[in-house]
Amino acid sequence: MNSIWEVIDKAETGQYMEERDFDLNVVAKLCRDLVKEYGIKFDPAQIITSDDSMVDNVFEAGLRLALEAGIFCIDTKRIIRFDERDLREGTSSAPTSLIIGQGKDSRILYARGVEDERDPIICGGQAGAAIPEEWYLPMALSFMKEPLVDMINNGGLAVVEGRKVKTNTPLEIQATRRELRMLREAADRAGRPGIHLLAGESSVSALGDLAIASDKYMRTSDAHLVALLNELKTDNQRISKVVNFTEYGAHNVTLVDPIIGGYAGGPEGVAVCFIASFLLGRVMYGSEYHVIHPIHFRYMSTSAVECMWNLNIVGQAMSRNAPYILMGDVWTSAGAGSEMVFYEIAANTITNVVTGSHPLGCSATNGKYPHASGLETRFMAEVALETARSGLKRENANEMVVKLASLYKDRQAKPDIGKPFPELYDMARVVPKPEWNATYLKMKREIAEMTGLDL
Amino acid sequence: MLDDLANSVISGDANRAAEAAKNALTGGVDPLNAITNGLNRGMKQVGEDFSKLKVYLPEVMMAAEAMKAALAILEPAALKKDSTSIKKSKVVIATIAGDIHDIGKNIVSLLMRANGFEIYDLGRDVPIDAMISKAMDVNAEIIAASTLLSTSMPYMEDMIALLKERGLRGKFIIMVGGGPVTKEWATSIGADGYGDDGDEAVKVAYELLQRVKPN
Repeated sequence: MNSIWEVIDKAETGQYMEERDFDLNVVAKLCRDLVKEYGIKFDPAQIITSDDSMVDNVFEAGLRLALEAGIFCIDTKRIIRFDERDLREGTSSAPTSLIIGQGKDSRILYARGVEDERDPIICGGQAGAAIPEEWYLPMALSFMKEPLVDMINNGGLAVVEGRKVKTNTPLEIQATRRELRMLREAADRAGRPGIHLLAGESSVSALGDLAIASDKYMRTSDAHLVALLNELKTDNQRISKVVNFTEYGAHNVTLVDPIIGGYAGGPEGVAVCFIASFLLGRVMYGSEYHVIHPIHFRYMSTSAVECMWNLNIVGQAMSRNAPYILMGDVWTSAGAGSEMVFYEIAANTITNVVTGSHPLGCSATNGKYPHASGLETRFMAEVALETARSGLKRENANEMVVKLASLYKDRQAKPDIGKPFPELYDMARVVPKPEWNATYLKMKREIAEMTGLDL
Repeated sequence: MLDDLANSVISGDANRAAEAAKNALTGGVDPLNAITNGLNRGMKQVGEDFSKLKVYLPEVMMAAEAMKAALAILEPAALKKDSTSIKKSKVVIATIAGDIHDIGKNIVSLLMRANGFEIYDLGRDVPIDAMISKAMDVNAEIIAASTLLSTSMPYMEDMIALLKERGLRGKFIIMVGGGPVTKEWATSIGADGYGDDGDEAVKVAYELLQRVKPN
């Protein structure tokens, strides 16, 4: 497989192109043409599809897109291309299992199959809106204390020592180090010092990543996210992050979040774009696992019907044709403290687990408010484990998810955003307040009865 | 002929739009009428279709290109006839410093253009002084800033502070938006308006132009 040196070279020597031409004449055109050629169709009544031939067509179309488009480097305006042999090598060398974390807290993260009955790995944390410094530690602790949570992906800080964190400033270093210190402290206090962290969310630029490559902050058993920019793009900041972590020895993870309604087109084009992004992300960044986060052009949540269809078909397409380790985001429009959030979590989680990804959540309120806590992540974990252990099939899962989505989809634009963490948890003991716990128990009962899952 | 103009925009065909514009003029259609009831009608339809996900961003961009091609022919004719006939509100828009995510901003920019605003799109990762300078240069009514990153939101606050420091705050309507930006936060930093999405941004811009008169 290509080394990072070759990626750096290609970013300097690849074909020159204006970005607008890449967006319109390459990505948009290819996505549109490939969707048509391969007959890919989004059906809102089949959020989880059982049509294996369409699943495989999505993969083939995505492979073609990866080969024909490549990746556009924004800084150099050059296209980084890989041939089919490179992409195949990337796939054949991709780990299908990985030890994450340390000691008794380590876990084996693995590539899930379709309708896989093994327990999924549960990733807890609120990775959406920035979190106030004064809640950061107790909120992180609320996730760490959940025994069903296997690894953590918590969000960034908005303010550090009274100063607002700004991109490309020294405060990114301060904030990322503070974030990691608090995550480590939370892990220690929860008695899980070796838990795997997917972290460094406080830094958008490479500054924070450079500043935490040390055992004191982020260990080589931890991971960071490197985004593929929308759509099929990268830049020197992203490549710098990869260079740093590759040499440091921690895990690179590709974050792919194409926009439904954007350059790739509708849900079908976005699915094709996802596959291309994963294949290219693997050879560009040497990523060992990958995050699926479809973005609806109106919402940041992944629980929108079009987004869940993407999680479903992309998860299945990768699982059947290029078994990468995939984490499927669980981002809701509603927030913790609401009833609505449980419908969204259930639908999104069932979709992920049945179709080849591990659940990663819960981030709330379309990414606008950090209204999240460990309790609804416990619910996500319970749904995920029961979905897998019960051997849920795609047809039955689809019926459940369509029904659940009908209970919230018309409210996603104006969701119940719930309450901030300090109103939901006893901040001293870091346990849910009785009212929030009662809502959890009520909704768990209701959804168990509705779906037949033994929650 | 007005339908031809509208349909050429809807189909995103710049050559056809330019041809339809020439035909309209030679056919004696009032150029202002051609713009308002032909091109603008077509662009409005594209905006509505995008909101319902019937078309996607590339189609909206192609429609904007078609409209631009036709306007290049119709606007000079309209101005020749009546120099006050076309008065568009000017908007300087950008993804603010530190952020390179521009698809959301592009959507807002195109929808505002579709709704008759004159748009100066400065791109992404734009320093706040560059946004202010451009707004001064073109005598804009609105400065619109977008970001997907919570770590670029403080630059919006800095921009308003800089405008105040330079005695320019009253000259411009300030609108903000983007993934993590909320209405409450927009109010807290002293912005005039906030849009949850492209449609709301257009609506709020219209309302603000009626309510807040830049001086």
